[in-house]
Amino acid sequence: MGDKNSKIDYSKSEYYYNRELSWLAFNNRVLGEARDRDIPLFERIKFLGITASNLDEFFMVRVASLKDMVNAGYTKKDIAGMTPNEQLEVINKATHELVNMQYAVYNRSLLPQLAQNGLMVVESHEDLTKKDCAFVDRYFQDNVYPVLTPMAVDSSRPFPLIRNKSLNLGALVSRKEVKGRRHLFNKKSVHGKEVEFATVQVPSVLPRIVQLPEMPSGTKRVILLEQIIERNMDKLFLNYNIECSFPFRIMRNADFSLEEEETEDLLKEIEKQLKKRQWGEAIRLEVEEGIETRLLDIIKKELMIDERDIYSIPGALDLTFLMKMYGLDGFAHLKNRPYTPQPVPEIEAGDDIFEKIREQDILLHHPYQTFAPVVDFIKQAAKDPQVLAIKQTLYRVSGNSPIIAALAQAAENGKQVSVLVELKARFDEENNIVWAKKLEKAGCHVIYGLVGLKTHCKITLVVRREEEGIRRYVHLGTGNYNDATAKLYTDLGILTCNEAIGEDATAVFNMLSGYSEPLGWNHLALAPLWLKDRFLYLINREKSNAMEKRPARIVAKMNSLCDQDIIKALYEAAAKGVKIQLIVRGICCLRTGVEGTNDNIEVRSIVGNFLEHARIFYFENAGNSELYMASADWMPRNLERRVEILFPVLNAELKEKVWHVLEVQLDDTQKAQFLQADGSYHKIDSKDKETHNAQEEFCREYEALSIKKEKAEQQARTFKPEYNQTIQN
Amino acid sequence: MSYKTFAAIDVGSYELAMKIYEISTKKGIKEIDHIRHRIELGTDSYFMGKIDSARVDELCRMLNEFTAIMKSYRVDGYRAYGTSAIRESQNRLILLDQIETRTGVKIEVLSNSEQRFLDYKSVASRVKDFQSIIEKSTAFIDIGGGSVQISLFDEDSLVTSQNIRPGVLRMREELARVPYRSYQLEDMVEEMVCDSLESFREMYVGDKKIQNIILVDDYVSLIVQRNYLETIKKGQVSTENFLGFVDSLKKKKTREIAMSLGLAQENISLLYLSALMLKCMIKVLGAEMLWVPGVSLCDGIAYEYAEQNKLLSSDTEGMPHDFEQDILDCARDINRRYHSIEYRTREREMIALTIFDSMEKKHGLSKRDRLLLQLAAILSECGRYISFANIGDSSYNIIIATEIIGLSHVEREILANIVKYATEKFDYYKILDSTASLDRESYLKIAKLTAIIRLSEGLDLSHRGKCNKLKVVNEEDELLLTVETNADMTLEFGLFDRYATFFEEVYNIKPVIRQKKSNI
Repeated sequence: MGDKNSKIDYSKSEYYYNRELSWLAFNNRVLGEARDRDIPLFERIKFLGITASNLDEFFMVRVASLKDMVNAGYTKKDIAGMTPNEQLEVINKATHELVNMQYAVYNRSLLPQLAQNGLMVVESHEDLTKKDCAFVDRYFQDNVYPVLTPMAVDSSRPFPLIRNKSLNLGALVSRKEVKGRRHLFNKKSVHGKEVEFATVQVPSVLPRIVQLPEMPSGTKRVILLEQIIERNMDKLFLNYNIECSFPFRIMRNADFSLEEEETEDLLKEIEKQLKKRQWGEAIRLEVEEGIETRLLDIIKKELMIDERDIYSIPGALDLTFLMKMYGLDGFAHLKNRPYTPQPVPEIEAGDDIFEKIREQDILLHHPYQTFAPVVDFIKQAAKDPQVLAIKQTLYRVSGNSPIIAALAQAAENGKQVSVLVELKARFDEENNIVWAKKLEKAGCHVIYGLVGLKTHCKITLVVRREEEGIRRYVHLGTGNYNDATAKLYTDLGILTCNEAIGEDATAVFNMLSGYSEPLGWNHLALAPLWLKDRFLYLINREKSNAMEKRPARIVAKMNSLCDQDIIKALYEAAAKGVKIQLIVRGICCLRTGVEGTNDNIEVRSIVGNFLEHARIFYFENAGNSELYMASADWMPRNLERRVEILFPVLNAELKEKVWHVLEVQLDDTQKAQFLQADGSYHKIDSKDKETHNAQEEFCREYEALSIKKEKAEQQARTFKPEYNQTIQN
Repeated sequence: MSYKTFAAIDVGSYELAMKIYEISTKKGIKEIDHIRHRIELGTDSYFMGKIDSARVDELCRMLNEFTAIMKSYRVDGYRAYGTSAIRESQNRLILLDQIETRTGVKIEVLSNSEQRFLDYKSVASRVKDFQSIIEKSTAFIDIGGGSVQISLFDEDSLVTSQNIRPGVLRMREELARVPYRSYQLEDMVEEMVCDSLESFREMYVGDKKIQNIILVDDYVSLIVQRNYLETIKKGQVSTENFLGFVDSLKKKKTREIAMSLGLAQENISLLYLSALMLKCMIKVLGAEMLWVPGVSLCDGIAYEYAEQNKLLSSDTEGMPHDFEQDILDCARDINRRYHSIEYRTREREMIALTIFDSMEKKHGLSKRDRLLLQLAAILSECGRYISFANIGDSSYNIIIATEIIGLSHVEREILANIVKYATEKFDYYKILDSTASLDRESYLKIAKLTAIIRLSEGLDLSHRGKCNKLKVVNEEDELLLTVETNADMTLEFGLFDRYATFFEEVYNIKPVIRQKKSNI
């Protein structure tokens, strides 16, 4: 067996999936949640909204990048052996199928069920009652009209800029006969009638969902903003007849590339590129099904878009509004029970966090546990007179981040505060520029990222001068310093004052500040210089152990797996007998059932109420197991083009807890879907069997832990009288 | 707080480094931060003679950043030392002044011997097995940017310490002028290094086998510390393994080496040259074991600071090694090379030190000055090798031309002058006029120590060991020198005044010689 397998060349393309198709399969799994009748109705609409938002991003980045390659004549094949053009073709087909499925779910399943459950979506303004019409017209007049900018096309006014991702109404208008008045617009003579093109953007500053007056039955009704505008189009183009009007939406190439080496001021350059994002090449056009051909022809021609990139949508465009609809009041019974992140037992409100960390390393499991200790860690450091310095990396932060406020406060208190704000964090660039400027103003030393690399690692270092000497407190995490997403993303973090990790953390920030690398690392492994080698070493060590009949097993949880070297090493390890269990939420280019691997590789994906985001890596290591967590996935971008950190879980108690996280996920029978040899994903047939939902399990566990602690505290507050047993008897 | 925070800055040939330490009597020296920035000052000064203004700007910018870091750690003190790149820069005085004005950082320039001594101290203070390693014949190799220092130990003593050129950066720059093919590189390095090495081996090693090499450098150390080489234990590699590693580098391209070792590509040329130089040294010296402690000059600077500020207790020093003895061993090695007779200098040492110790309250000199006196006594006759008639000048020239590990350039000049004026008329103005590096304080030191050396010469004119038992009592205006001997002291009594006058002039104390005969 060994000899035969050792001859298999696992780098061949037949052993890999295309990453884009794998991503579309992931979005299909999310769509599966929207289809799942066992899930509360409002959760299902939220999932459908997520698939739409995901697809937008996929187009702006991935499809755009492939189009760039095709335009540049690039024909190099990907790991699955497909040229960029071939990929675009299959993506196109798969996306049309996905969109059809999205709207099948929306129209056939969700809308009727919403109506049955007291929420009616009025799909067309033509369906409004007279009373409703009066309401929407008034709404239009008072709220919408003042912010609209109707745009026309004529020889002096070229086709207007249609902004990326914006929803628009396109119209064909014909002039009402008024004596002595010249035509304003571009004239198109179609079917003998002179029509002109006009457009208006549906303003994003207004709510997309407008609630109509409630019906006597108590049924709530909503209508979308574009329907209200469409009904009132004639008020925008006075003296013109509206021949037809239809919503349309375009997606543009948003994947800008920076010439960082030649850029003197990264901040300014990014600001400049962000503006350009609105002008990127149009790569997808969504139009309402049944759009007037004349109107479509004009848009198509002006945007220079291929036929294959046009999506005819049987319903409301841009389903991301469903995520807003999820927030409508009065439907709590159609949603999951809201979960409150539980307190971390080791740290109580008002505790000296540094003292608690000195007592023991602390594991944080979000969103099951609150993110407050991370925020408090910075807040306390900002005020603590013993703290000398605070250093932190920021990739994505929330809108009104308490972390930013604490860092600014620290700088104002005279601490040395160094913050690396990654300006290149995709779609968060503008947000991060605002933070960077704010921090700089407060006196922080702000680094805008590194040339050619994105700093994706999540690390905070607090340097404190204590009686016994300088002590370093470190937080290392798998997720962003974002208190808002920490309520939705499952992530893990560690608070420690382990000296060796503190030394490494100092070296990380020295490197991020532009100083040379350290002579060596104690425990951390950093991408892009060392991390990939470290992972390959750990996988190959398992392979050697398996060959020598020692216990060998890998359990790895991540968001995506598409690095060819890592996948190849996994195949080779599996071929030698290593048991490999992968929990990959999203893209997975690894195939199961590959020849020679003897079914030793198992891949599952968990899509649940919370977004699975933690990266955990377990290596059996001949019985002397090692557990790591990281900010990185097994993707080339993480391992080669980003600054990422892999950190070990050293404390035995914490190691057990992290292992438990993996175990519970491996036991999931409700949300886990298994990758099949044909590339499809299937859930376990658990009919008549007890099912396990890992995320629900964690919620229960952490709630139970809080109740237990609360009870113990209650008991401690109750006096217990002691009696003389002899007398009582 | 029971500890001090200290910053050591090394302005090196290709790197600017700062280490922050916590020093306490309880825990010793603990490194808490290490910041490095690549800046090739040596490329400018070795080949253009000056450091270019763009690099000075960069250096000042980095030093300002270092100052901010020091401030953030609230350091209690710092020391910044420049090495060969600054030493060899013709504009160093202007440069140092500019740096101080722009950054507030005062950089002191180390002589090669001081620099190597600090490297050596850092190794001795950090390597637990140091004492047992140097019991066997050991070469301590310190590869710098400008030159290489080789110090030889045997049976726990320093045999010699020699500086050989070029260092790794100088070699790279020299080779850059030669059109060669990559396969020729190893041979060229061998040709450049082996000639000096073979002479070194001939002069100091002979047929003896060198067992260990202790290496201090920036590149090979990096990969050993990162465990890219199979180690016997941390920092210990068999030379066989090392040679295999060097051969494996030969087959790879720069990018490949950088990837496999996790180094930036810009470091690979210097890593490869360092490795080839070390390979030559292993071949010529025939060592079996390579010790790579991964220490740097900063560690030595911190040790020196701790030692001078008495921040180390005997428990935490971890220093069974006597560094002063190394300096003395080095001087004795010079003596041997110039055929001085050891028993004669031993007697001179004893007399001079006895006088020095008895006058502690009068001369106001330090322990370090006592060492200079002892060195002067040891080296007082080395010039005889060249000229019996002109011993002072000859000795002066030998000392000035010979590096003595552990001594600064100024100290070497003081020493050379003491030895010179031990036999020549003390010229009050000539000393100060002859050099720019000696200040008023050094001049006084020379005078005071010369006076003691002369006096000891006066007591030991015949070199017959008459003063084996010497008692010195310092009274108010007299220095009573009682020699307990039955030997005939007529010559010493007769000529004593000639040697005592200068002493009286310097200290305003009259030396008086007495003989006490023992009862037989």
